[in-house]
Amino acid sequence: MNQLEKRKARFARSMVRSAETVLAELEGNGDLPEGMGYFIDIMRDVFIKQDKSLISTRLQGGDNKKLIGTYCVMVPEELIYAAGAVPVRLCGGSYEASCIGDDFVPRDTCPVAKAAIGFTSLDLISLYQMCDAVVVPTTCDAKRKMGEELSAFTEVWMLEVPHIKESEGARKQWLEQLYALKKNIEKFAGRTFTAKKIRRKKLVAAIRMIGRAQYQARRLYETRMSFPPVIYGRDAMLAINAYSFDTASCWTDAMTRLNDELDERRQKGRFVCSKREPRILIAGSPPIFPNWKIPCLLEEMGAVIVADESCMGSRYLYDPVGIAEKSMTDMMVGIAARYIMPCVCPSFAPNEDRLFRLLQMVEEFRIDGIIYYVLKGCVIYDFELIRVEKIMKEKEIPILRVETDYSPEDVEQIRTRVEAFVEMLERKKLKKKGG
Amino acid sequence: MEFYAGIDAGSTYTKTAIVDNNGAVMCHKIAPTGIDCSITAMESFNDLCDELAVSQSNIFITSTGYGRRMIEIADQNVTEIKAHAAGGSRKLSDGMEIRTIIDIGGQDSKVILLDEEGETINFAMNDKCAAGTGRFLEVISRVLQVNLNDLGALSLQAKAPCQISSLCAVFAESEVISLLARKNKRSDIIAGIHRSLARRISSMARKTGVEPNVLLTGGGALNPGLVAAFEDELMMDIHVEGNPQLNGAVGAALIGRNSNGGAG
Repeated sequence: MNQLEKRKARFARSMVRSAETVLAELEGNGDLPEGMGYFIDIMRDVFIKQDKSLISTRLQGGDNKKLIGTYCVMVPEELIYAAGAVPVRLCGGSYEASCIGDDFVPRDTCPVAKAAIGFTSLDLISLYQMCDAVVVPTTCDAKRKMGEELSAFTEVWMLEVPHIKESEGARKQWLEQLYALKKNIEKFAGRTFTAKKIRRKKLVAAIRMIGRAQYQARRLYETRMSFPPVIYGRDAMLAINAYSFDTASCWTDAMTRLNDELDERRQKGRFVCSKREPRILIAGSPPIFPNWKIPCLLEEMGAVIVADESCMGSRYLYDPVGIAEKSMTDMMVGIAARYIMPCVCPSFAPNEDRLFRLLQMVEEFRIDGIIYYVLKGCVIYDFELIRVEKIMKEKEIPILRVETDYSPEDVEQIRTRVEAFVEMLERKKLKKKGG
Repeated sequence: MEFYAGIDAGSTYTKTAIVDNNGAVMCHKIAPTGIDCSITAMESFNDLCDELAVSQSNIFITSTGYGRRMIEIADQNVTEIKAHAAGGSRKLSDGMEIRTIIDIGGQDSKVILLDEEGETINFAMNDKCAAGTGRFLEVISRVLQVNLNDLGALSLQAKAPCQISSLCAVFAESEVISLLARKNKRSDIIAGIHRSLARRISSMARKTGVEPNVLLTGGGALNPGLVAAFEDELMMDIHVEGNPQLNGAVGAALIGRNSNGGAG
């Protein structure tokens, strides 16, 4: 075995251990909903078994379908499905991969970009090498420059996302970008497929299919409003995260089963905890599997995460495409609007809608406190903290800012802070009830 | 039950205090934590019981500090934040109400904000680094060959405090060595060190929303030079009560008293 292979094997071994630790913790809950098994299996196939054929069967269904990697939440999956290819979301959450990525990017880069470059450069898990091309939206600085670095290893299509949504020019430019992307996908898929153009009917079907996935994601979102809760946040967020590595249709089936099971549990009063546990909203940077450090820690310390606004969680599948007529133009305009207008990623400015959305969540989910999660190097989320703190102060919702990366070193320091925060919320809750 | 014990198992010292039903501190002990905080805690507790001449089984024990889960004799444990808040929110000798607690511990520092009822409303802790902690002062006192307890008095004699630019304890150490090599006075160096530490914690305190009155606790509060540096940096009066190291232990004992329905 040469040096490179040895290095890869070592990283892979550590990654298996970190991923297994998280999954074992989730499975250690004796009352884990049965429907979670499907999503845990997906993560196990990708990160632990790292089995190419398993992944291929799931995603490509035995055919020779092209896989197209995507980053962030602005790449229209409808276009990819309509061309007969399958999208795979590649935003990285592995500590080991982020260590490899350290060699390619500046130290202060966020771990999401580090991990993505690490995965791609070392072919750490089969999924990254299986993608024939990747689409990188120009959202934040890290993602934009990451796209450039990734092009050393794979075919990269940059997708220019406007940062100001409210201008006519930006909308026009965005639509043009999507037409260009569509062309790229068609050309690309055409290399092996007989169908060259994305057909109208195929696009209608793709929009419907993703609409169904979104409907189920929305159901889970609403289920999490339950008081007391019927599912832990660490489970719910993992189930959504698993969408990254599955086809929309299979994921929708599994999510339907999970939702049905949760509905039944709710009716029977089978809750995961009582009304006393502090209800937490995770805001800010996304926890991405296997980096489940903060979700696990929070719930270990006696809180329950009932809501998140993460682009790997609730924001991922929140907004459906709205179309009136099913003409090609109408659909393209509908898709363009869906991926930009309602999105509250902090790479947009102004981004007042995010504050409104957070306030709404605090009400709807009966939030007691907010964990504001900042991945090191994620300046834009940190920027918006000041505004979020200001509006939450008026609502008397305490916020704890936790800045961390994927390394396990600071778990104990964070534990003390999280524990004290939970303790503080418990006191507050008890008092409110008493008074 | 008449007595309540609080054990604050810190990284450097284990502090034990016993309060009576009215919350008055009866006796206390401060011992180096050593390698096994559980044994250290038990020994301190035994000594205090002998001193008070009461049976151990009559005392409800609450542990706190980083080693709180390891204290086998404890009946319950609470986080440092909660214990310090409880310790700081008791009415101090002159009836003054404390709204901010700054604790300079051996290996971490914290800022805790209290509301008028003494409940924690916000807090912050330094992360991952020794620069704002007691350990920083220990390192520096070793380099300067000054007894830790003499740092304060010496720094108050400073005429022109040195600039210490490094925020890292290790780099600051090498900075101090080069300051010594340039024949700077030790008093000036120490005053500079105190200012650097106070500046670091003060910026954390301001971010947390510091409000008067401010109580300084932990071993660092024994150092009058550091207290003065905090007053200069925060532009506020800094209060120190007798035995500032005991704040967490007394707070834990008071929490034990309240959870057992003691007079509040």
